[in-house]
Amino acid sequence: MPAVHTKDLSLSRRTLLRSLSGVAIGLPPLAAMFNANGTAYAAPTQGTPPNRFVVWFNGNGIPEKYWIPTETGADYMMTPCLSPLAPFRNDIHIVTGLDNPSARLPGPGNDHHRSMASLMTGTQFTGRGAGGPSIDQVIAAKVGSDSRFRSLQIGVSQESFGESIQRNMSWAGYDRALPPEMLPNKLFDRLFGARELTWINRKKSVLDTVQEDASGLRKALGKEDATRIDEHLSSIRDVERAIASLPPNYRRVDPPEAEGDMKDWPRIAKLQSELLVHAFASGQTKVASYMLTKCQGLSRFPWLGHTNGRHHDYTHNVGKSAANNGLEGLRIQRDICRWHAEEFAWLLGRLKSVKEGDATLLDRTTLLYVHEHAEANDHKNNGLSAIVAGHAGGLRTGLHTRTTGTVADLYMATANKAMGVGLSKFPSGSREIPEIFG
Amino acid sequence: MGAVIRRCLILCAALPLLLSQKNLSALGEAYFTSKVMPALEKGGCQNCHGSNGVAGGTRFRLPDEGASAEELQLFGKSLHVLINRADLSKSLLLNKPTRRVAHAGGVKITPGSAGEATLRTWIEYLASNTKPDDRFLLGQRKFEARPVLRRLTHAQYNNTVRDLLGDDSRVADQFPAEDFVGGYRNQFQSQSISPLLAEAYGAAAEKLARSAFRGGDTHGLIPCKTQDATCRQKFLRTFGGKAFRRPLLEAEVARYEKLFLSEKNFLVGAQLTLEAMLQSPNFLMRTENGAEPSWRPYETASRLSYALLNSMPDAELSRAAAQGELNTREAVEKHARRLLADPRAKATLDEFVAEWLRFDQLLDAVKERDQFPMYSAELTVAMTEETRRMVADLVWRDQDFMQLFSAEHSFVNTALAQLYKVPAPKNEYDRVALPPETGRAGILGQAMFLSATSKPADTSVTQRGLFVREHFLCQEVPQPPPGVNANLPNLDKGKPMTNRERLAMHLNNESCSSCHTLVDPIGFGFEKYDAIGQFRDKQKLTFRPARKEDGEVVKVELDIDTSGYVAGISNSSFNSPRELGKILSAAPQCQQCVAKQLFRYYTGRHENARDAVVIDRAFADFRSSGFHFRELMVSLLKWSVFPPES
Repeated sequence: MPAVHTKDLSLSRRTLLRSLSGVAIGLPPLAAMFNANGTAYAAPTQGTPPNRFVVWFNGNGIPEKYWIPTETGADYMMTPCLSPLAPFRNDIHIVTGLDNPSARLPGPGNDHHRSMASLMTGTQFTGRGAGGPSIDQVIAAKVGSDSRFRSLQIGVSQESFGESIQRNMSWAGYDRALPPEMLPNKLFDRLFGARELTWINRKKSVLDTVQEDASGLRKALGKEDATRIDEHLSSIRDVERAIASLPPNYRRVDPPEAEGDMKDWPRIAKLQSELLVHAFASGQTKVASYMLTKCQGLSRFPWLGHTNGRHHDYTHNVGKSAANNGLEGLRIQRDICRWHAEEFAWLLGRLKSVKEGDATLLDRTTLLYVHEHAEANDHKNNGLSAIVAGHAGGLRTGLHTRTTGTVADLYMATANKAMGVGLSKFPSGSREIPEIFG
Repeated sequence: MGAVIRRCLILCAALPLLLSQKNLSALGEAYFTSKVMPALEKGGCQNCHGSNGVAGGTRFRLPDEGASAEELQLFGKSLHVLINRADLSKSLLLNKPTRRVAHAGGVKITPGSAGEATLRTWIEYLASNTKPDDRFLLGQRKFEARPVLRRLTHAQYNNTVRDLLGDDSRVADQFPAEDFVGGYRNQFQSQSISPLLAEAYGAAAEKLARSAFRGGDTHGLIPCKTQDATCRQKFLRTFGGKAFRRPLLEAEVARYEKLFLSEKNFLVGAQLTLEAMLQSPNFLMRTENGAEPSWRPYETASRLSYALLNSMPDAELSRAAAQGELNTREAVEKHARRLLADPRAKATLDEFVAEWLRFDQLLDAVKERDQFPMYSAELTVAMTEETRRMVADLVWRDQDFMQLFSAEHSFVNTALAQLYKVPAPKNEYDRVALPPETGRAGILGQAMFLSATSKPADTSVTQRGLFVREHFLCQEVPQPPPGVNANLPNLDKGKPMTNRERLAMHLNNESCSSCHTLVDPIGFGFEKYDAIGQFRDKQKLTFRPARKEDGEVVKVELDIDTSGYVAGISNSSFNSPRELGKILSAAPQCQQCVAKQLFRYYTGRHENARDAVVIDRAFADFRSSGFHFRELMVSLLKWSVFPPES
């Protein structure tokens, strides 16, 4: 397995998990992956690398008694769910008591639907999807236009009830889902697939024709359809931006192994995280959403030894027979939430291990870890818990804060303090939560 | 104005019926949209009183989502039918939401609240209008042909490239998965093309174009041999016309010719053109009721073909469109009947059934292994296969489709025969009779339904009732309000309870009962069928001690009461799936729902009030044919392409 080491970015080979055959790390970050024609190799970064943003999600809320620390402030005890994050105590801030008020507006959908739309976008569930853009897209619209990918949507577990609001966390706008890429090989191909110059030129001429076609069709259609064509055009432009030839050393990144259990979520999660770290390190994007499991998700957990139900079943205390009163389900939930935190911790560890100049990637990244519910059993959508991690915005770390703001207030604080986007409002937000960033 | 309203609110709350005539007219119609409507929405009226709500059949039916302010105002005026002019305080509009009279939905607007004051004001305003304004109701009876742009579903993409290029590789299976919205995968409001999908379309087009011309024009896509300008133009127009399902505009021919000519080699140019065309919105999407009138016949051809064959129009349909033969209902009917004889129609029906009944949820379900050792992935496939065969048999042999609920036979393999305790058929999935003592008939007695609506270890009375409401009666039941713990009380070995006894909590609690009376009593009737659809005479409970030293494992068997009923359908008491099947097959709500479900699938959207004229016509044809599903297919297309005048 080839690993490239440079002055800017180096990494001990020991930190690579051996089971993750393939993804070598240690590539020079790039200022831009393409020139105006999209044909040239990029030049290495000049100046300070940018800040990055990740919004991380897993479905079905948290078992509060195993998740929320009893104490607030600096002396809080790590709970069973949070224990994997103990090594990162000084890289994170636990925030509890967040409200998600638009989840409670009367409207269509079940509580998971309503809470999810509201969590990610601050807007109501439309009966089909979210009613506006999600926080990652709002940030990407401000900072993403000079990256190869304005934003990345990454997913892991695919097990779900199959509805759009359950399967997607990123929304470009009203009813416009941005599906996550859930297959490491495909994500790898998007990021590191080798492309020849002739292919690039060919692709560009094809897309030019398609764009003209779309503009032509737009004229022939009524107003309502024009929006839909505009969406298509904007997607084509995004594809066009991403068409780029990569520097030769990028070709030495090996793809993740094609073999292996594609429902082994811990394995897939680590491959996806690894690719995300690469995408950040190589300057291909600054913004990502990471959907570990689906909203109202139905993941199974054979590696934890729990095979009689699925995540959503367990949150409603359906683990074994009804006569068992779900006590076993509660214990299972504890194991599951610990796994969620483990994968988040794993990503933090990887970001922390990659040097970028005199700092690490984690120093220039802010991650927000959110859920659609607090206790999922009664679909609680106030008193939500979140984790803010990374040092991009001068995060005050090592703390547990019980707050009274909304999730949107936390988004505003993060967007402005960590990403400097000057966000003056976000639906259902009113002010930046003050206690989190220094 | 604002001051008037504010004063009015104060006055009305305290002393109703004091508004002077002058103040009433000053109130204006905007009061309804700015005050009354928000009060109704705050109460959650729309949860039941929308078109498809459980109370959608009452005289209080809210306009569909996205109604204009003007439409809302007209709706406000139409509410005069709910006021009592002789005694305004006896108006239903006031007394239903405050539950001063019986209201299945409970108290939605608190008596004495500002919301109620708003309502009172509006009632007085309505009473002051001596001439009733019924434009809203009249307008609702007029079909509205709105333009829509529909993206090919992944299945349609696969079929289209198969029929266009002879390519069977099913590239769309690799696209980002399609999500369910409103019960189906093809609802147009959510068919956006994300960058990820656009990228996938690009990769697929590249691959398909390469295979299309591998080893020359082996698929005969180029209609001439000369490889000159004439031939190039001919290719652009004939192939392009097929790909775009309409003749190319001159500007489009010129655009693609330019791209074609960017390659020196003729076949390479053709390949490049094909790659671009397959990514064009003209290929990936299609219009219905679009702004271009000359495209209308081609739109019609595509509508028929994608509805019935899930693929592009065939040569005969394209010819008919070109020759202006698709401009009548008769022509639509003729071609629809012709297409139904195409073998591809069968797979299309299967796809509709799989989505309508959400086979995906069963195929993904998990069951408790110790309790159901016979449960396996193969068994779930067999369950869906039984349902698929039942539907196909009814449809393609022109049987009464309502037998889907009442048929006293089924199509089972050996494993299902064991599950149902009936003799195994000679050949797998042969037709077998279901004796009365099994209690089974139709889909409600099938393991597909019984299993998909259960939890891993036990049945779910509520889910089963909900499935019947949503899928077979087309009614949306409101979800529990936020923050409600929906768990049933814990079981105690000292006081074991059946599911019916535990669910009594729903029915005895006012905030739960208004909705649970709609679903739980349906589910009770299935309680003798366990989480994988096996018959059970008793509900068995096993109490396991947390630790061995805490005592013995206690097993309890409880009698099951299966008496159930369907609120809203009269004389609907039943005790088994077989009895409910008989009731549903004869219930107009259920019969109409079959038509509505197909309407949703064909039009890619949920019906609204204005679609009633189309659905009613199609339903009338369906019923008069003796519920032949093929007639419903033909009729729905006929009336939705050319809607009746009123």
